[in-house]
Amino acid sequence: MSKRALSILTLSILQAVCAFAGVRHFTYLYEAPTSPPGSIESENWMTWAHVDNPEHSDELAFRHEIEIGITERFQASVYFVDWSYHNDPTSSGFKYSDSGLELIYNLSNPVADPVGLSIYQEYKGGDRLFEWESKVIAQKNYGRWIFAYNATLEAVWQGEGLSGREGEFSQALGASYEIDPQLSVGLEFLQEFVFPNWRDTEEVRNVFVGPNVSYRRNQWFVTVTALAQATDTEDEPNFQLRTIFGVGF
Amino acid sequence: MKKLLLACLIFAGCETANYAPQITRSPERGVDLTKLNRGRDLFVHRCIECHTLPAMWKYSREDWPQIVNDMSHRASLRPADREAVIAYILAVRKEL
Repeated sequence: MSKRALSILTLSILQAVCAFAGVRHFTYLYEAPTSPPGSIESENWMTWAHVDNPEHSDELAFRHEIEIGITERFQASVYFVDWSYHNDPTSSGFKYSDSGLELIYNLSNPVADPVGLSIYQEYKGGDRLFEWESKVIAQKNYGRWIFAYNATLEAVWQGEGLSGREGEFSQALGASYEIDPQLSVGLEFLQEFVFPNWRDTEEVRNVFVGPNVSYRRNQWFVTVTALAQATDTEDEPNFQLRTIFGVGF
Repeated sequence: MKKLLLACLIFAGCETANYAPQITRSPERGVDLTKLNRGRDLFVHRCIECHTLPAMWKYSREDWPQIVNDMSHRASLRPADREAVIAYILAVRKEL
């Protein structure tokens, strides 16, 4: 069989067995429902972060992810590569950050049950970096409204010999209103508590807030969130813009 | 505060249940209750992957099968799943 015929056959089989995994109504929050079993979707993230304090710098970060529905309540995602381009007064360039694995298990449904709940676990490893992240995801749907809440605990080991340590607790709240089945608009709020060396001596607190919009068609969606920093923390972005583009095979 | 939280949770359960009411008895002979409950289960899990649940009265009994058919691939619904979802929607729609 020629390579071309094999490719066509593979694509035909994929088309027959795969479907869209699901739309994201938020970009800084996860939602409780998991992907249907057998669904496969590619998600591509782009986050632009602009820092003004203490000096100007910009970073464009990218993530390329495949999301797979395993069972009715369990999904897995592989982050093939997280990479970025940064530009500041002293340097600029591309950098590979990490690759990772994300697992989500759904416990209850945001429509049929009083609250939809899911638990989330993520592992990332890269150039002198290991990261472990756990999350509780809560969601409630009221008619055309979707409300979501995430509580996240993160531990990072980085640097030479992975000797640098940092912890973070963050919580995020989002509301999204469906204008029509293809278009939603909403708000996202993100609060971070950063613990350098797993201590709270520096009392680093960051708050970000901003609007989002999500548009979907047959086999794809795009969701964009713009967040501004409501605190005045040095080295943290004054402005962030995240876009997630998803396409089902 | 606890009472307020409890009231909110009860309200949440009642309000959203209207978009996917549970069926406790088969609305007509020959319609399997297990199939209807399976249809509801799929309806509340698969459809909200992309959008919120529409009110059942929003579309006619004649329109619903086509709507579900059009979205069945996106929602990973096999033919039997699709039939269960349609049967559930039509059973609820009949009661409205």
